[in-house]
Amino acid sequence: MADKNKGLGKLGEVFHGRSQRVRELKKEGKKIIGYPCAFVPAEIITALGFVPYRIFGDMKESVTEADRALPASFCPVMRSCLDCAFKARDDFVDGIVVAHSCDPQEKTARVWESYIKYPYFHFIDLPGSLRAESLEYFKGQLTDFRKTLESFAGKELSRQTLIAAIQSHNKQRALVREVYELTKPDPPLISGTEILQSVKAVLSLPVEEGNQLLSEVIGEVKVRRNGPEKKPARLLTWTSTLDDYDLMDVLESGANVVMDDSCGGIRPFRVDVEATDDPFDGLARYYLKEVTCARTFKEAVLGETTKDYDKDLEKRFGYLRELVRGWNVNGAIFLLVRYCDPFAFEMPGLRDYFSRLGIPSTYIEYDYTEGSLAPLRTRVEAFLETLG
Amino acid sequence: MAKEEKKKAINRLKSMYPLRGKINEAYLKSAEAMAAGKPTVWGMLNFYFGDPILKAMDVEVVYPENYGAALAATGVARQYLDYADADGFPTHLCGYSRANFGYTSKMMKELGGKIPAEAPLGGMPKPVFLMGSTAVCDARYKWFQALGRYMDVPVWTFEAPAPGVKEMFMEGSYERMVELGVENLKAFVEFVERLLGKKMDWGRLDETVDLMIEVNHVWHEINEMRKERPCPMHSRDFWSAMSPALFLMGELKDTLECFRAMQEEVKDRLENKVGAIDNEKYRLVFAELPPWHSLDFFDKLAERGWNFVVESFGYRPPMPMNLSGISDPLERITRFSLQVFSGYYKDALEQNIPAGSFAYPYLKFAREWRCDGALLHPLISCRSASTHLPYVSDMLLERLKVPSLTIEGDIVDLRLFNPEEALAKAEPFEETMNYYKDMRKQEGFDW
Repeated sequence: MADKNKGLGKLGEVFHGRSQRVRELKKEGKKIIGYPCAFVPAEIITALGFVPYRIFGDMKESVTEADRALPASFCPVMRSCLDCAFKARDDFVDGIVVAHSCDPQEKTARVWESYIKYPYFHFIDLPGSLRAESLEYFKGQLTDFRKTLESFAGKELSRQTLIAAIQSHNKQRALVREVYELTKPDPPLISGTEILQSVKAVLSLPVEEGNQLLSEVIGEVKVRRNGPEKKPARLLTWTSTLDDYDLMDVLESGANVVMDDSCGGIRPFRVDVEATDDPFDGLARYYLKEVTCARTFKEAVLGETTKDYDKDLEKRFGYLRELVRGWNVNGAIFLLVRYCDPFAFEMPGLRDYFSRLGIPSTYIEYDYTEGSLAPLRTRVEAFLETLG
Repeated sequence: MAKEEKKKAINRLKSMYPLRGKINEAYLKSAEAMAAGKPTVWGMLNFYFGDPILKAMDVEVVYPENYGAALAATGVARQYLDYADADGFPTHLCGYSRANFGYTSKMMKELGGKIPAEAPLGGMPKPVFLMGSTAVCDARYKWFQALGRYMDVPVWTFEAPAPGVKEMFMEGSYERMVELGVENLKAFVEFVERLLGKKMDWGRLDETVDLMIEVNHVWHEINEMRKERPCPMHSRDFWSAMSPALFLMGELKDTLECFRAMQEEVKDRLENKVGAIDNEKYRLVFAELPPWHSLDFFDKLAERGWNFVVESFGYRPPMPMNLSGISDPLERITRFSLQVFSGYYKDALEQNIPAGSFAYPYLKFAREWRCDGALLHPLISCRSASTHLPYVSDMLLERLKVPSLTIEGDIVDLRLFNPEEALAKAEPFEETMNYYKDMRKQEGFDW
């Protein structure tokens, strides 16, 4: 029987009781800062002595309370996050930080701040493009975030402390990448559901505790004999957020999900924050340029006066080529949360790109409810059959 | 004997017609420009940011968002939506974008770049570049990016900062927004110069910016006059007249004269106590995008005494500001454009309302224009124009005892708006408005 105090045993405990550790820490006097998106720099939160807690929606919880504040035809993930907040599911949170990663985040933030009073609430504006002036503006937004969080912490943020926090979070990024190395063999040594559990678990813990847990999980997985069974399809999944265990289970019913490009997968961990003399330069560059979310406008050449569609696709999706080749992917599922515009606009272009890579793909839309799992399973099974 | 014409319920301003006429003129001009080989740009509504630049450089701009409304109203959108579906664009996307994908797909893939025969208003010619913006919603740059499937045409994306209300008043924050805008515009001018091989005439830009500010100042003053009872100008006239100010359509000196004529006509109505409708029983605020295809719906409400006195935050001129001390036209443009959304932030901060643009303004509108009710029109495929509406409804009732009536629709699927069903709600809502009128009196409100 797995030891519940470390490794995979502990992973299960932490995953299923995600808020338990932060509640313990709160009793010890720690303050918890919640954030619903990978664009929020958790490093700054950690550096000022708070515990960053990634807020996810809950597909299993029917949205009821959020109806008074957000329309039904709206991002169901953010509706769910707000709904959980109304229901005090995250009542241990002392403050919320939201980034302008997309319209739903921006619009929900205004409503969230209006309806629920927290001791601390901060909104980080995030530009849409990668121009030099956009980067400079975003750096200014991060320094504003630092100021308000310093005020809430009652202390100043030192450069050294921030550098140390960046190093800890980079270590976590490296560990998650190491976890994904374990899906390269055939069959993979670790399943997509176990990776999803790992990511969600560590994002509910202080960064050092999360790193410790990941190291233990990696160590156990490398030597265990009862890993996932080999399945004919090695899938890459691409979506905004893939944060539900049962949903991943549906995808893995007939396949090995060896790479998940989502905010519950590799996306927040794909590369490190660069070490720069002013750490805010490294943070601004990382969060604006390196997080591969569809919300960011990328062009093959900044300010180009001609357009080449193939080069444009390569700029936007070229990082996926490396993932496809490196992980020997033979099929891709693009999951679209209904009403997610940035990812929806990408669909035809992304399918064009995968067609050029010679990788079969399908796009499946779902509404982020438990009821969507059954039809999703049918679509997944049908797609897997085409892979042979 | 000739049949007597039924008197129209809304007294339309005579001065509105020349302004409305500029919309058709703009489309015809762009068709002429195309025929003459002049460059045309497809632009998103950019809130006075990119338009003055292109105006000064004599570049024609057509607006696919506007054009989407024309496609919907003429019934042509339907076939284009089918093209978009076939090309794999998810159906929940902005209806205007889907109609545009279909239009572009047909134009480029089937017709080799020729404008489809069924396209209304002369169609939109293939552009030399696409001018997007991050203002208001993600669609307004992702859409243009996705057009790369059909046209090898560069995309320029303007940054439109959207800070939090209290965050904007942090030291240096607003100045950084201005810096972003000015640098963005410098780069844009350089981009257009490179692309078109022509230089900016900075004197002409200066003049264009001054005219833009003056046109919108007069337009703002006109709308301020609508605070009076009876309101002299109905929302229908606002929507008909707004485009030349918002999109800088036509020759700006002439546009300014047209708005000055409107200002005189509205003043005249005020002096003679002439309302936009004969019997103003209820004053309403409308949010957000009107049902362009069914505007005569408002005539039916006017017959019941409903005067729509203020509307559509997203289309309104910015609150006036003094830019006379700023010599750099790019900085004047930036500050003017930023004012559209952040101009209400100071009030919103004082009122402790974090939703400083889109939502808070309706509190100001309802209070200052003395509204008895709000008509909210959420659109199934335009989330940016709909998300704030439940909050607006809550805010108006809680703070001002002004009730809201919600009637759903869509920007391109006209089947979703049912005017008969909507009108059936009018009488019960009148009872609600009467009830809250009494409640406001009891609570000390002065209307």
